[in-house]
Amino acid sequence: MEKKVKKWGMVIDQRKCVGCHTCTVACKSENNVPLGYWCSWVKGIQKGKYPDVKNFFLRRLCNHCDTPPCVEVCPVEATVRRADGVVTIYYGKCIGCGMCIAACPYDARFFNPIRHTADKCTFCTHRIDAGLLPACVTSCIGRALTFGDLNDRESEVSRLIADNATTVIKPELRTNPKVYYIAADKDIMGRIRISEEYPEAIEEYHKTVPSKPSDYWKK
Amino acid sequence: MDISVLFNVPHECPWKIYIPLYFYFTGLSAGSFILSSLSTVFGIKKYKPLAFPAALTSFVLLMLAPACLIFDLHQPLRFWHTLVPSYFNKTAALSYGTWLLTLYPIANMVYIWFIFIKDDRMMKIMGTITVPLAVSVHAYTGFAFALVRGRTWWHSALMPGYFLTSAILSGVALLVVVAFIMNRFSKKKFDENVFSDLYNMMIGIILMDLFWVLSFGLTLGLSNTDGLASIITAIHDPLYLWGEIVVGMLTPLFLLIFPVTRRNKVWVTVSAILVICGVFLMRYSLVFIGFEIPLS
Repeated sequence: MEKKVKKWGMVIDQRKCVGCHTCTVACKSENNVPLGYWCSWVKGIQKGKYPDVKNFFLRRLCNHCDTPPCVEVCPVEATVRRADGVVTIYYGKCIGCGMCIAACPYDARFFNPIRHTADKCTFCTHRIDAGLLPACVTSCIGRALTFGDLNDRESEVSRLIADNATTVIKPELRTNPKVYYIAADKDIMGRIRISEEYPEAIEEYHKTVPSKPSDYWKK
Repeated sequence: MDISVLFNVPHECPWKIYIPLYFYFTGLSAGSFILSSLSTVFGIKKYKPLAFPAALTSFVLLMLAPACLIFDLHQPLRFWHTLVPSYFNKTAALSYGTWLLTLYPIANMVYIWFIFIKDDRMMKIMGTITVPLAVSVHAYTGFAFALVRGRTWWHSALMPGYFLTSAILSGVALLVVVAFIMNRFSKKKFDENVFSDLYNMMIGIILMDLFWVLSFGLTLGLSNTDGLASIITAIHDPLYLWGEIVVGMLTPLFLLIFPVTRRNKVWVTVSAILVICGVFLMRYSLVFIGFEIPLS
């Protein structure tokens, strides 16, 4: 029997996520991500005022788009979409031009200060190629993360996508992400601050960008 | 609804000042090359004295441009990867750009040689080959931005045209300064008509640039939230509003139209220098306002 091509995808169930950041820590230690940088993270917002207030969390990672804008712009084909749908980087080929970082609509890429190349979440290719689950999925305490083959109708991800109202981040950009969210809030999916006080919001935003002190590990 | 951010990870801007500088140098180079080709390719004889200095400035600036690009790379020693045919990515504007950036200086050098030995026929042939290269070496940068669909500030069909007009504008302005310096120090004087034509050219292109800015701003302001956010950011950015629009376009436009200042060479030089600075600020704000809009 011919082996069917796999298409890896992830379903993130927002109803089960408690915002513990375990996936962030697991990702950082598994992939040896330098301090001050993240391949995946949990975005958190607080909505409402006391007593009607709630925290919302959104697990963010590379969306492993089916039509990835980063792969389209790479001048040396260092970043590629593999046959199984995972978007990875050949670190030895990357010249570090930064075009993919500029082109990613999800801000999922960054310059790795140790490798001096672009870097991103790779769905833990070294683990999935060995038949394991990505580090974040294994570590999730609430089982909010499900990883599997989207081409296999029997897989858990396919069933979750079929049975639930799912959404992806920025579907209008024709990127066809393979990271699906169940019950994600609209306020946390996109950029949050769009208001008349925009300049202040931008200043606030720039305060959170990794700054010089985050280089302390080099000394 | 009150919404506050508890935690988020924005990433650093991947580019440094070298990228706008690179756009600026290729723009100046393409602009002055097109000016040089006016007499050699398009046969407008009165621009003949400009052909050699314009081609020479375009070549010198072209040496600086790729250097800026290589300085910006995080792996500068791997720059040759862009020229390996098997690494060529047919959907990437940058792949085409690196080949253009390699071919254009070579063609430009041969062209300058034929101007230098005054071979009119070969000059015309080489010029005809090099003009499309000069145009596309700058237009590709416009496409590199216009094809980024994640950032509304860049994702505009106007981008390549805007890049080209401002490139020609900066080329004309640079040439006005060069022509003044040459007039001062060399025995062969330029015709006053040539200067007058250059001024008119500058006025026309500034008006066209202003038209781009207007239609760019209007379409962004009435597009999606990212578009509105970027135009608000641009208006609050002094480098864009005061630097690019007021100092870089409106002031030189006034100085070139107003008869008293138009006749005075000092004021015209000032306006040409303002235009040159304004075009750099255009590149700068175009690149970095794009990064100021958070994506998540």
